[in-house]
Amino acid sequence: MTTIASTLPRDLPTPASTADRANVATTSDSTLDRFLKAIERRALRMAELATGNREEALDLVQDAMFGFVRHYAEKPAPEWTPLFYRVLDNRLNDWHRRRRVRVRWIDAFVRDGETDTDALAQVPDPADPGPLLRLAGTQAARALDSALTELPLRQRQAFLLRVWEGFDVATTAASMRCSEGSVKTHLSRALAALRRRLEAYQ
Amino acid sequence: MNEFDRQPWIDDARALLDESAQAIDAATLSRLNRARQAALAQRRPRRRAAWWLPAAGLACSGALLLAIVAWAPLRPTHPVDAAPGSGAAVLSAETDAVAGDDSFEFYQDLEFYAWLDAQEQDSDG
Repeated sequence: MTTIASTLPRDLPTPASTADRANVATTSDSTLDRFLKAIERRALRMAELATGNREEALDLVQDAMFGFVRHYAEKPAPEWTPLFYRVLDNRLNDWHRRRRVRVRWIDAFVRDGETDTDALAQVPDPADPGPLLRLAGTQAARALDSALTELPLRQRQAFLLRVWEGFDVATTAASMRCSEGSVKTHLSRALAALRRRLEAYQ
Repeated sequence: MNEFDRQPWIDDARALLDESAQAIDAATLSRLNRARQAALAQRRPRRRAAWWLPAAGLACSGALLLAIVAWAPLRPTHPVDAAPGSGAAVLSAETDAVAGDDSFEFYQDLEFYAWLDAQEQDSDG
């Protein structure tokens, strides 16, 4: 399994002492740049699976990068990955909240206007595999993308962080700002749903 | 080993996800790069806000005002190079006449002084 930790450059600081922490306090831009570069592709895929839209995903990842650099850049490097995903998770939650409100308002407006336009048709189709996997082309990849997109946000995040990113339960819980029990529940449901959807490809 | 690691489809899912992350096109990677650079740019020391500019302006204004106040009384009251009979000379004489009470009285008693002068000359002669 490839994780962000294993893809990071080896000379990243791994502070254990106060002196090391002092070094981290003056984290160089190049170290931070390498970290963000190593994590950005996965972050984009996660955001894309959550939004079903490349542009929205890019905006969310950029927001997450800004938030991470602003608030957590001076933290010790080993803490960066879960902290980055915490910021991204916040952005994804906000995005979903805003979308729910938008859909509700559009729905109310359309009813008042008595038009035949379906407001939900304006929302990205969760079953749409998305441009990335359409290009990737394989049926299994497309099925996985659709299955992941259809999962509720928290279940998908639990799956991606635990299974793809390789976080343990505690780190996943910290990234998602929920209890370890919730992570286990979300993951269990996600695995069951994905297994059902993907059993044809096994 | 996690409980889900025993399920073979999990490895396939990971591989597919890795593949999809590697398949991101160059244009998107370029935008990610720009986003990353923009995020990092906020760490670089920006020019400090010029909070001292108003104070410096005030100090300069005060110094200029002091210099004017200190220098103004030293200026000659009469324009030295005003030609006799010129407009400036006449104006200056009239201004002096009006400005000083002593000078005004002098001009009022001018005839008396002229008579006194004539008397003194007669007595001398």
